Amino acid sequence: MDTRRLAHHEFPILGRAYFLGGRASTSVKQVLREAGVSEATVRRVAVACYEAEMNVVLHARSGYLALDIYPDRVVVAVIDKGPGIENLELAMTPGWSSASDEARALGFGAGMGLPNIRDQADKMEIQSGKGEGVRLFLTFNREGCESGVPAAGDSGTSS
Amino acid sequence: MGYLQPVTVGRAVEALGLAAVVSAELGGEISGAQVSDLLSYVMAEGKRGQVWITIQTHPNIVAVAGLAGMHAIFIAGGFEPEPETVARAEEEEIGLFISAETSYTLAGRLYELGVR
Repeated sequence: MDTRRLAHHEFPILGRAYFLGGRASTSVKQVLREAGVSEATVRRVAVACYEAEMNVVLHARSGYLALDIYPDRVVVAVIDKGPGIENLELAMTPGWSSASDEARALGFGAGMGLPNIRDQADKMEIQSGKGEGVRLFLTFNREGCESGVPAAGDSGTSS
Repeated sequence: MGYLQPVTVGRAVEALGLAAVVSAELGGEISGAQVSDLLSYVMAEGKRGQVWITIQTHPNIVAVAGLAGMHAIFIAGGFEPEPETVARAEEEEIGLFISAETSYTLAGRLYELGVR
């Protein structure tokens, strides 16, 4: 595993702000493109980030998304202050959702969020419990020959 | 089986009689379509170059279409997008078009046009 971190970014997420939903994920997509990450990987990360971001918007008071880019992988952490997930197995079941009626009327709450994230990421870890918020950690392996990956010894950039 | 000409967003907009709210991506070739009002479904199934037929009108539809790499959103059923939705579509250069027809009708016409 390559330990050289090329970039680190953090994006705040506001709970209940439906109209802002997707802002963090859109920024993630832009940052990854600028870093030379392949379109296929960008899409996987963007889809997973959107679902995770909307989980914070729909269920939590606030949170943030942290993005780390490495030569061989992209690592995302989504941490929130919210009610947490009481039953992880249930939350991972496609179609199960605890979203409000208001959220469902807007087309959210299909119960596909966490399953979608699991499908996109190469590695997924959730830490949560009732009243503890949610800490979600995702790893996406980058494809073999992506452009923009500095050669060994190059210090890369960080922000 | 007849050869189907590629369908651009502009051609579909004209053929389906859609009204333009944000005229972006008119030259984009339509690779397929989604008909759904569930955002997570479109997030999972939406593909680059597709168009999305929905009756949702809030700004998140632009985020979903943008992240999935879709060309345009067709809002059916006579619904109109919220001002913030329009602003975001302009910002992200995603086509936004409206119609009084149902999602079913728009999808049928798009299929007839050759979009598969």
